[in-house]
Amino acid sequence: MSKASGIKIKNLVKNFGKGDNLVKVIEDASFEIQKGEVVALIAPSGAGKTTLLMMIGCVIEPTSGEIWLGEELVYKDKWLAKDTRKIRREKIGFIFQAHYLIPFLNILENITLLPQANGVNKKDAEQKAMELLKYLEIDDKAHSMTTQLSGGQNQRVAIARALANNPEIILADEPTAALDGERAVSVIKMLKKIATEQNVAIITVTHDDRILPYCDRIMKIQDRAIVFE
Amino acid sequence: MINLATRDIQHTLGKFIATAMGVGMLFGIVLIMIGVYRGLIVEAEILINDVNVDLWIVQENTLGPFAESSRVHEDLKNIIYVVNGIDKSEAITFQNIQLPSRDKPIRVVAVGYDIYGKISPLNSSKLIEGRELKSDHYEIVVSDKTGFKLQDEIKLGRNFYRVVGITTKTVSNSGDPLVYLSLKDAQELQFLYSNKEIQNNIARGIQNTESYMVNAIVAKVKEGFDIEEVAQSIKKWQHKSVYTSKEQKDILAKNLIEKSSKQIGLFTLILVVVSTIIIALIIYTMTLEKMKEIAIMKLMGLPNSLIINMIVKETLVLGIFAFIFGNIFSYLTYDSFPKLVILQRSDAIALFGVVIVASILASFIGVKKVISADPAAAIGG
Repeated sequence: MSKASGIKIKNLVKNFGKGDNLVKVIEDASFEIQKGEVVALIAPSGAGKTTLLMMIGCVIEPTSGEIWLGEELVYKDKWLAKDTRKIRREKIGFIFQAHYLIPFLNILENITLLPQANGVNKKDAEQKAMELLKYLEIDDKAHSMTTQLSGGQNQRVAIARALANNPEIILADEPTAALDGERAVSVIKMLKKIATEQNVAIITVTHDDRILPYCDRIMKIQDRAIVFE
Repeated sequence: MINLATRDIQHTLGKFIATAMGVGMLFGIVLIMIGVYRGLIVEAEILINDVNVDLWIVQENTLGPFAESSRVHEDLKNIIYVVNGIDKSEAITFQNIQLPSRDKPIRVVAVGYDIYGKISPLNSSKLIEGRELKSDHYEIVVSDKTGFKLQDEIKLGRNFYRVVGITTKTVSNSGDPLVYLSLKDAQELQFLYSNKEIQNNIARGIQNTESYMVNAIVAKVKEGFDIEEVAQSIKKWQHKSVYTSKEQKDILAKNLIEKSSKQIGLFTLILVVVSTIIIALIIYTMTLEKMKEIAIMKLMGLPNSLIINMIVKETLVLGIFAFIFGNIFSYLTYDSFPKLVILQRSDAIALFGVVIVASILASFIGVKKVISADPAAAIGG
């Protein structure tokens, strides 16, 4: 398995406000996460975890610094691509605290929505979705609605959706927060398996100590700086 | 590509249909209001069309029997008849009266005409039962809206009148049903004083000549003659006001219907605006309910166009459903209205255009919400 860079951050700074109202959230952060790695991001509430995740996810614009996603420099003191949404669509998979599947679409449609928006034809998108569902052992639920699935099953569908566009990185925001111990461990094991087998870099924000042993590294935000345990 | 609008509508179908039915009732009322306006015009012209003459000769400086009080001598018809270009002329009366009935008095317009004359205001195609008037006295033909049956006896003034015929779709410009009397009976009803009054007048040396008055003389112009020219010659020599049928209709439209139509038009406009606002609010609420999903879609990188497409399509489908329900509602209820309501396909087509434009306008508020949705809102619970 290659150890190519998944995410590379250099001297990243994020401030909110100006003058007397200036709030420094992230100061001079630099780190690299390889593809195949699962990194836990932990910090107290309000420390800037979500802000960091949103900057890497090309949702919030940093104040300065560099962001590399795979081999592509996407930010250097400004967004280098006109359409940051396209970067998200093509390179990043998101997993949320709750599954946040679209309730009016069935499981298969939830997974194929993004690839179809990327121009993949329906048949190919469905074939890939079915492979993912099989991989995550819920292929028998392909035509069910989200309300017919348990919390753990829905979270697996959310993972399948995050993988549907063959992302280089996955950003997960407390993916196990709504799950009991057994299911939480099952999900993080699955993410680890995906990282290794699909060669994806994963950052997961978490407050859940149960999943930390399954992560490759633990990244903390301490006094606005990034430190690794 | 997955049709997000269709899926969302299917997901909340019951709620969606109930909403569309509610908005549809508003559109139904719009259609009925337009139908009332159409009915006003048709009702206003029924009598003029049934009389079917070229010229209306009325008292000088008046607008004719429908807009202003007019009295002319009955024998004027003979003078008019000899005017060059006149084919036939007759005297005619109109008056509002109340018919006594079992439940409550019915307000009608009584039309008096010479039953032996060459011009009859009674359109035989509208006679659904019985016959036309055959006797100079004590016979009456009534509209079916009065509720009277053949052979019923109706007391008018001093006398009883027997119903010999029943017509349908015969109403005056004010929507009151029409009844038909012989000219002599109509003159007596309108102009003849009570015996005591006549005695008093004779004692004062006043001769009663009123019962030889009528409200208008109507005339047909011979083929080959210009109606306007004949009208001008009567105006010049007979010191009367003369109107063509078209002018009479214009007077009705301008003096009698204009205000009503403006009122109905304004009311219809307000209803359309209210419907647009309601659709906009519904779409706004529906969009708000989906804000989390919209934020997620934006965060995942779905283009705005895909989400906007969903909102606009849902608004259009809501508008179209509401339009269909509105049509069903109007067709089920229009006959229950006391005044004539005419539903025309052209009005429905025009309303459809308005609904489409209104729906697109209404979707803007939802689209604006989509554009402003923060993808970061998807993260952080």
